[in-house]
Amino acid sequence: MIGSRSRIAWRGAEFRLLLPILLLVPFGFLITNVALAGAPEVGDLTLALGYVALFAGAHLLLVAFGHRGDQLILPAVGAMGGIGMIMLNRLPQDLAGTSAFGLELGMAGTQLLWFGVGIIAMLAIAVGLRDDGILRHYKYSWAAVGIALLTATLVFGYEVNGARLWIDLGPVSVQPGELLKIVLVIFIAGYLAETRTLLTSASVRIGFLSIPPLPYFLPMLALFGVVMLIVVRLNDLGTALLFFGIFLTMLFVATGRRSHVLIGLVLFVAGSFVAYRLFGHVQSRVDIWLDPFADPLGAGFQPVRALYALGRGGIFGEGLGQGLVTLGGNLTIPYVHTDFIFTAVAEELGLLGAFALLGFAMVLVFRGLRIAALARDDFGALLAVGVTTSLGLQTLIIIGGNTKLIPLTGITLPFVSYGGSSVLASFIMIGLLLAVSHRSGTADRAPGS
Amino acid sequence: MTGEILRVLLLGLQLGFVALLYLVLVRFARSLLRDLRSAEEAQMSSRSGIGRLSVLESPADEPPNGTTIALGPINSIGRNVNNTIFVEDDFVSANHAMLTFRGRSWFVEDQGSTNGTHVNGHRIDRPVALSFGDELSIGRVRMRLDR
Amino acid sequence: MIATNIRRLGVYLMLAFAIVSGSITWWQVVEAQNLSTRSDNPEVIAARRSLLRGTIFDAGGQVLATSELIDGLSRRTYTDPAMTHVIGYSSLRFGSTGLERTFEDILVGQTDPNPIRDLVSDVLARQPEPRDLMLTIDRRLQDFAAEQLGSDAGAVVALDPRTGAVLAMVSTPTFDATPISGDPDGAQEPMDALRNDPAEPLLARARQGLYVPGSIMKVFTAAAALDAGVIDPDTTFPDQPREESEGFVVDGFTVREHDLSGIEPDLWPLSEALQVSSNVFFAHVGLELGAEEFLDYARRFSFCDSIRIGSPERGLQVAPSLVSGSLDGDCGPFGGEVDLASASFGQGQVVVTPVQMALLAAAIAGDGVMPEPYVVREVRTHAQGDVPTDEVLDTFGSGGGTRVVSAEAAAQTRAAMVDAVNGEFGRRYAGQGDVTLYGISNERSAGKTGTAELGGEQAPHSWFIGFAPAQADATPRIAVAVLVESGGSGSEGAAPIAGRVMAEWLRLSEGE
Repeated sequence: MIGSRSRIAWRGAEFRLLLPILLLVPFGFLITNVALAGAPEVGDLTLALGYVALFAGAHLLLVAFGHRGDQLILPAVGAMGGIGMIMLNRLPQDLAGTSAFGLELGMAGTQLLWFGVGIIAMLAIAVGLRDDGILRHYKYSWAAVGIALLTATLVFGYEVNGARLWIDLGPVSVQPGELLKIVLVIFIAGYLAETRTLLTSASVRIGFLSIPPLPYFLPMLALFGVVMLIVVRLNDLGTALLFFGIFLTMLFVATGRRSHVLIGLVLFVAGSFVAYRLFGHVQSRVDIWLDPFADPLGAGFQPVRALYALGRGGIFGEGLGQGLVTLGGNLTIPYVHTDFIFTAVAEELGLLGAFALLGFAMVLVFRGLRIAALARDDFGALLAVGVTTSLGLQTLIIIGGNTKLIPLTGITLPFVSYGGSSVLASFIMIGLLLAVSHRSGTADRAPGS
Repeated sequence: MTGEILRVLLLGLQLGFVALLYLVLVRFARSLLRDLRSAEEAQMSSRSGIGRLSVLESPADEPPNGTTIALGPINSIGRNVNNTIFVEDDFVSANHAMLTFRGRSWFVEDQGSTNGTHVNGHRIDRPVALSFGDELSIGRVRMRLDR
Repeated sequence: MIATNIRRLGVYLMLAFAIVSGSITWWQVVEAQNLSTRSDNPEVIAARRSLLRGTIFDAGGQVLATSELIDGLSRRTYTDPAMTHVIGYSSLRFGSTGLERTFEDILVGQTDPNPIRDLVSDVLARQPEPRDLMLTIDRRLQDFAAEQLGSDAGAVVALDPRTGAVLAMVSTPTFDATPISGDPDGAQEPMDALRNDPAEPLLARARQGLYVPGSIMKVFTAAAALDAGVIDPDTTFPDQPREESEGFVVDGFTVREHDLSGIEPDLWPLSEALQVSSNVFFAHVGLELGAEEFLDYARRFSFCDSIRIGSPERGLQVAPSLVSGSLDGDCGPFGGEVDLASASFGQGQVVVTPVQMALLAAAIAGDGVMPEPYVVREVRTHAQGDVPTDEVLDTFGSGGGTRVVSAEAAAQTRAAMVDAVNGEFGRRYAGQGDVTLYGISNERSAGKTGTAELGGEQAPHSWFIGFAPAQADATPRIAVAVLVESGGSGSEGAAPIAGRVMAEWLRLSEGE
């Protein structure tokens, strides 16, 4: 390898981890096929093999491009997505689907299609983003893109479940909020990387609280305020909570000031309280959360059914394909493929499976933080922190909501829930992580290393 | 009867699936631990400084073989005793090279030495960023940059 | 610096993941069992779809509820709408209520009454076998009582004062539970109709209805005061005659008698005071007794707490009856002397269930021992036809009861109650409650009417509590509480119903 930059990097750890995971997916398909058919037959494994091919291809391409990024991230994604695909393939296929580009795809097929699109996007970013200047220097342009996305949603969006989140683009509907998340992270990372030192050094102290110096802080606060306002207008509480969490976490990492986070939390609690008093839908959400069993067939229907599914699963689960997903033609849990995919996993794979899924998410998060810690520069570090926090908080918020730890909000579980926008956005974030990781792995490396 | 056989079959398959799931998790944990251990070592070095040089080969035993040298942000290397890192070797110039920590990276720059400075066996002709694990050769002395 | 912050962030995230894991564990391990037995759980409903439930028989072995499988779906049929508020319903859509709920696991056979057999069938994963229930209620008396109430809203509760066995427990209006328990798709419409009915047929009035008791509460005041020794059967209060005509001022509030219809005020002792139902006398008695003692006795008589018909773990729930303001489901302290005085004659803050008042009557009839009510007598193996099997798996019975007042105090109260039905003045009010009027020649009733004034134009609720046979030396075989909503005075509405129901039971149980 001496003398020239190696074009190939044998990603051994990634290979060793991907191998059993890619075995797991067809295996899971097989089990659900047997269980659903009620007969020992293999059934259709096309989608599972497609999934295997996608990840194997991604791995080989990373190897071929000599990518030196983290090797645990892709397997963790593969594991989460694999569990998701097994569940989505096992659910009634008419819950969602596409009939575009001359294709007739059921829910799992559509999801696999989006995985393909997502992996291509991920690879493009991971390999193509050699210079992050385009992200860093044009942060205000990104902010403008974000605002445009939101405005478009506000104007052209249509409502699903009371939240106006979707834009219809002919063959596909997209959720701009998912992409906005990434834009927001890039902007905040760029902004904080630039003003970080000023923010920490020039804080104004009032008592034991230190307030960030407003002149430097104001542009970001203003943008953030606008974003939050629109998100609240769009009636999407989960996204609002997620954005706020990402913002506070990145601020904390950049400045190290717990007081900033504290102020943010106080503001958030105060805001939530005001929202609780002002908006009926917030109030009813909270009331349902506090006592879903008060009206198990009405308002509390979803959370109660989710809890029942958790209870049915117990420690060992009801078995793949053997959960009580439908009853008399109706889903026992509404939105089981999106908001409640976790409960479906926990029902069929039990506490063991739920913990495994949580374990994969934790691997993803802690590897993300490691990438951030090893990043070559502040921008990379903050970008990685933002992306990781986004994925981690999403997981925590939706599982917390499913298990009645916090009020339920309509957020997807990354890589597991059905949804094209979510899958695409999550893969873009993984691409960013890999790019940051690749740069710190090579730096302007001395030749031959 | 076939229903019961199927049930047992499914139970077995399910057990296999969960076992495989945890096998993967264990592998993940092992990889994580391995990285954690190297990170711990890195942390130990970061406690004593921002990096260190491990002496791999030193014919005159100055610096002594097998020892490590804690690094400050700016380190001059050469045969002159006033250098931060004093190297006793005939192939080393008086003021041979500069090893500096800038921002987040280590850089090495040759100070116009006679025999040159090598990184991973390549002679450098401009300031070059070092990664941890890279090998630095000054004369016949070989040292490795570690955390 | 950033690296340090990231490490801290890692710690916080780790903590968050730990909390979420805890939350998952809570629902999947700790709460899993509780969740799996809730009757609105879709799994429970699904399992029940094809599970046969046991038959429910009345005390005489007559079928009250049966299940059969139609197209693989279990359908429940109820034979007697008068029983609905006891048995409840078992709906594939709305879950279950009443005995269908409290005895759910036994009816479908998921739990064996015998703990060892239960464990064995659990380990062997045996198909559950349905079990039958045998009630203490006699369908003949139940139907008779329902007929007496007719189209009025109200309740009749009849107990055997010796054992606490429920002989009849009727709440009207009632409904036929079969349509709700049948085809789940066809159940919504009848349920909606019941829910929207202003007569509230879904309310089990006997157990869940809370009513102002009026004068029947005086029985309680008398028994408590006699037991505490603050009065004896001859006690009178000096100003009684004046106060009976002009009113008795307590704390600025005037306690008045109801219309005495020509009876001259006098220095009435207990018997006469109960016969004419003197508010003044019982206000004095209550004040003599004092607030603390009053509450203490109320709790002894199981006021202020929810009662279970059956065992605490497996019993029909009865709403708590309250004598003073409510405080966290318990009786709060009395607001003042006025509240205490009013409670003593059954007005003010007192609200009671018919079951509670039947227990009061049963305690007096039982020489001061209040029985523990129960309605399921036996669990038996499942009968294939209409005749109960002989194999009894479990027996429930009298828990022995609790002594609430001394035998002497009970006897003195009983004597006054006999007078209240048969005495010179009493006959005018509660005479209609006497069993002699309804074909029983050799026995008498004891009792007390109540007229619960609701204020305004609303017709008062009509009450009667009593027991029979009540003449000296007789052992009472039935204690009743009858409530007729807006039934007018106690003598008009409730007393004749009570008299007929008691007489009917004496006839039915003759030779027992």
